[in-house]
Amino acid sequence: MIEVDALRKSFVSRGGTIRAVDGVSFRARDGEITGLLGPNGAGKTTTLRMLYTLMRPDEGRVLVDGLDPGAQPSDVRRRLGVLPDARGVYKRLTARENIAYFGRLHGMDDAAITARVERLVAALGMQDFIDRRTEGFSQGQRTKTAIARALVHDPRNVVLDEPTNGLDVMTTRSLRQFLHGLKAEGRCVLFSSHIMQEVAALCDRIVVIARGRVVAQGTPDQLRAQTGQQNLEDAFVQVIGSEEGLFA
Amino acid sequence: MSAWWTVMRKELLDAFRDRRMVLIALVVMPLAVPLIIAGMGSIGSKRQAEKREGTLELPVIGAEHAPNLLAWLRTNDVAVLDPPADPDGAVRRQEYEVILRIDADYGADWRAGRPAGVEVIFDSSRPLQSGTTIARLRGLLATYDRQVGTLRLIARGVHPSVAQPLQVGQRDVATPESRFDLAQQMLPYLLLLLAFIGGMQLAIDATAGERERQSLEPLLATPASREAIISGKILATAAFTLLSLLVTLVMYRITFALVPAGRMDVTMTVSTDSIARLLVVILPVVLLGATVLTALAAYARSHREAQGYLPLLMFLPMLPTMYLMVSPVKTQLWMLAVPFLGQNQLILRVLRGEPVAAAEWAVNLGAGLLLAGCAWWLATRLYHREHLAASS
Repeated sequence: MIEVDALRKSFVSRGGTIRAVDGVSFRARDGEITGLLGPNGAGKTTTLRMLYTLMRPDEGRVLVDGLDPGAQPSDVRRRLGVLPDARGVYKRLTARENIAYFGRLHGMDDAAITARVERLVAALGMQDFIDRRTEGFSQGQRTKTAIARALVHDPRNVVLDEPTNGLDVMTTRSLRQFLHGLKAEGRCVLFSSHIMQEVAALCDRIVVIARGRVVAQGTPDQLRAQTGQQNLEDAFVQVIGSEEGLFA
Repeated sequence: MSAWWTVMRKELLDAFRDRRMVLIALVVMPLAVPLIIAGMGSIGSKRQAEKREGTLELPVIGAEHAPNLLAWLRTNDVAVLDPPADPDGAVRRQEYEVILRIDADYGADWRAGRPAGVEVIFDSSRPLQSGTTIARLRGLLATYDRQVGTLRLIARGVHPSVAQPLQVGQRDVATPESRFDLAQQMLPYLLLLLAFIGGMQLAIDATAGERERQSLEPLLATPASREAIISGKILATAAFTLLSLLVTLVMYRITFALVPAGRMDVTMTVSTDSIARLLVVILPVVLLGATVLTALAAYARSHREAQGYLPLLMFLPMLPTMYLMVSPVKTQLWMLAVPFLGQNQLILRVLRGEPVAAAEWAVNLGAGLLLAGCAWWLATRLYHREHLAASS
């Protein structure tokens, strides 16, 4: 369970202060897939970064399974499986070594890592390349490696920043099935996307973010009712106030 | 298993799979250092030997005034040449190392028993090139002076020892190890440079490179603390550098064990015991270098920016060597606490086979490790900066 309450974050740049996140509140429940939907630059990545303790909020509060990232950053990170926007892998290590490295950083022993890697390899379909060095991997193979690495410690909460970016149709499909599997296991899945169709196809609950604010949230049905639009796409355009960035 | 150990092992595995990095650190540098020193040493000693023992080419002005002196010089392996038109200029332009001018009154003075004038024209601003030749000519003139003086005294019935109140004997206490030549003065600098920035490639790869390749953010999302992560990277850099230094010193030992002793006028051998001591002396510099490099590279936005600091860092270990060259000093205890200067002094002393007292070890290692510790503390502070991880 991830709770976000009135989160704010500004960056000072040469052009002045940019309010990247300006009062974002939502709740991502266990056994549900929650989607953060918004155009590019809406503040999704910054919000997620404050969740996994990479950045400190200026104001507001985050709770992960009831823990405060500011007070217990290591415990919070232990409970999270994070696929950040940056998902580089070590190219001189094999996919398995990449995953095992993160397993060790999570304090797992070698037996537990081996067992867990076998499960992830099966679930993500990585049999063909698990023992190859990641140099020259396709985008899909890299992303799968990064996801396996993020989930090696079997976290209760899974945070994915634009997980389908750059993936082909087949890989995207298998990733969706994988996320449904995580949900069926009772985990809390939170992911961000700027692609409306993807959020619509996957999510139990949608949080629409624009210009650093939550402009609407609820189940797909609630959103349709709230806007009076039958079509989800029209509903999104209406709450965001523009068509910019919703289609990819 | 602690996180720093995991990070360190991963960075070392990563480094050892980077062929270029391994080749440079464990093959090229270990071969280059002994070759540079052996090369400089043998060229240097060969040239000095030539100047001491080869024929001395000497332009003489007014040669016709002193035929006996010139005949004597010729028997001492001096080739007398015609003088150039502009003797001062010729010496200054390095056309000749030294020119002898004989006074026009030389003959008259000689016959009258007055000191006859000769003049040595030389340029003292190039002691390395022409110092040996100048000293050789002065020595020859002094010998001639003494011989003729002795003969004159005997001709007058005076015992020559009357005019020799002193008999100066000489005893050189230099041991073969301590007879250093210029080439070997380079060794401490090369070792310190290697120790300080030898881990550059690894440090940049593990920090700026990690961010450029977008793997830093996932790493920071693991429970490992930032202190543990940066410490692991620093220690990996230090371990790799230390290994490179060890291989270099072993290669140095092998190289000079192979060179026939007669080819050099000084011994350049390093015992296994000395290698161990040298590594201990260098250890704080290795740790300091690894920390500074990691911190700088972590702070830099990119590979390129990190490499931009390189010239500045190369300059630091050079300072004490330069200082010691212009003013060679006897080691004071406080000097051993000065980074680089202290190490430089101790390396020289270990190489010269001089004993180092426990207090000196303590001051040197203590100061070095303290400084490395401060740098480490600063580096961990820097690593907590928020913008560090945000790559995009």
